[in-house]
Amino acid sequence: MDIDTPDLMEYFLNFSAAVTGFSRFDLLGTGQASLYFSTIEGIIGGEIFRELLQTFHELYVRANSENDASILTEGITDEILMSGKLGPIASNIIKLWYSATWYQLPDPWREKFGARQNDTSFVVSPYAYPEGLLWQAIGVNPPGAKAPGYASWQYPPSVRLTSPKN
Amino acid sequence: MTNNGYRLIHTVEDLRYYLIQGMKIEHATIPPYLTALYSLKPGTNLEAFHIIRAVVVEEMLHLTLAANVFNAVGGDINGVLTDPEFIPEYPAHLPTGSVDFKVNIEKFSPNTVETFLNIERSKEVDKDAPLVLPRPELNPWLRILGLEETYTFYSIGLFYAEVIRGLQELHQEMGDDLFCGDPNKQITPEYYYDGAGEIVPVYDFQSAIRALRVIQEQGEGSRQQTIYDAERELCHYYRFQQLELGQYYSIDKNNPLNSDSPDHPTGKTFIVDWDAVYPVKTNAKLSDYPEGSELYDAAKEFQQQYYAFLGMIQASFNGSPQALIPAVGGMFKLKESAERLIRNPIPDMEGVNAAPIYRWNKEQK
Repeated sequence: MDIDTPDLMEYFLNFSAAVTGFSRFDLLGTGQASLYFSTIEGIIGGEIFRELLQTFHELYVRANSENDASILTEGITDEILMSGKLGPIASNIIKLWYSATWYQLPDPWREKFGARQNDTSFVVSPYAYPEGLLWQAIGVNPPGAKAPGYASWQYPPSVRLTSPKN
Repeated sequence: MTNNGYRLIHTVEDLRYYLIQGMKIEHATIPPYLTALYSLKPGTNLEAFHIIRAVVVEEMLHLTLAANVFNAVGGDINGVLTDPEFIPEYPAHLPTGSVDFKVNIEKFSPNTVETFLNIERSKEVDKDAPLVLPRPELNPWLRILGLEETYTFYSIGLFYAEVIRGLQELHQEMGDDLFCGDPNKQITPEYYYDGAGEIVPVYDFQSAIRALRVIQEQGEGSRQQTIYDAERELCHYYRFQQLELGQYYSIDKNNPLNSDSPDHPTGKTFIVDWDAVYPVKTNAKLSDYPEGSELYDAAKEFQQQYYAFLGMIQASFNGSPQALIPAVGGMFKLKESAERLIRNPIPDMEGVNAAPIYRWNKEQK
């Protein structure tokens, strides 16, 4: 089975957009999508990753064809996040996008579905760290990276409490 | 004056005109350099990343230095950077008038590096020879103040050599009256973070020459047959050539004469990964993006922010030097917006990614 097909990458982006609250444009804008995809695949294996993405994609297609967004939101909750098998992986994918860190899967999951050799907690790459969605979400630059410029420390923080689009 | 016959800068007006062209030249290199820089995939091609980045930061210094000279000779900078024509429409010839190559806004590639080498190329011209290429006899009655095709400077260095000649001769004719500008409009080191060579505030003949020489030498070196400038740093041409050759030059800072000679680097070798690059659309226009898409909105927002950024820079050159600090802060946000665009494929275009759009379109609302 070849997991590295463009379709699965599409599913992955759509799934990530649905669970992170960031748009595909934002996600691609981090430059980390392929790295995260291959990281997840490398840790949990192609089969289970495909199962997650297929489950999502079926909900996505159904929500679109029936023009009912609740199919997707409820489906993600019931069939993915609440699932003992897929839930912890989905949570990990959210954390990965936000913090550029893969967290070791919880012990009950490892006992039930098998511990993976590469499943340890680690920052995926030094270049992924400043691209974590966390920093965009709270409106600050990642400490130690994306410096906002010499002497900018004299200005008030640029944190916004509301989205600029509202 | 031995070179009076070739002289192009006869009046202070001419000099100011040339300095505006100078600011246009410096700025015209920035969108192509930045786009190539941000087209590098994160974490790859670190050599290229550092080389291009260091050059572009110096181009920003050059723009500021040219503005300092312009202000020192009483130029009115208001409307210069915010003129929609301040940014050329790419593909573009450099405002030096050289017409043998065009500059594109495009991804990092061997062709792009070739263009960068053309931008930074140099040529030695004797002290008393004309600095423009041979041109047809001009009818003096038809001479208009403007950059005609007949005035084609081979290199940016020769363009500035003309400015330096003009400045010298005007100074001999007018004395220190030439420097009639408001000294408060100078950008001084306290407002310019000193990461790319020295900012030179210009108040008199000496400092004007010093500022112009920094621009000249950081680009093409201090003299023929050397690879370094007066600060013993590798000049831009040879920095870019390293990417072509996959090898660093080595400079002996204590004894620069022991440094590598041109075209023969002996430093560390490295591999340029020409494929680890986003396939950025060459000379992208807003109309390349589907209207209503997030990409379109982001590109439009970038364009507006870039225009606003130039406005802030202009204000800082026009007596509010303290405005330079937040403007530079805004520049880092522009960088992130540009990167986001470059990393996004254009919908319905197979294998082509977006690019930031720098030029302001007059027709646009």
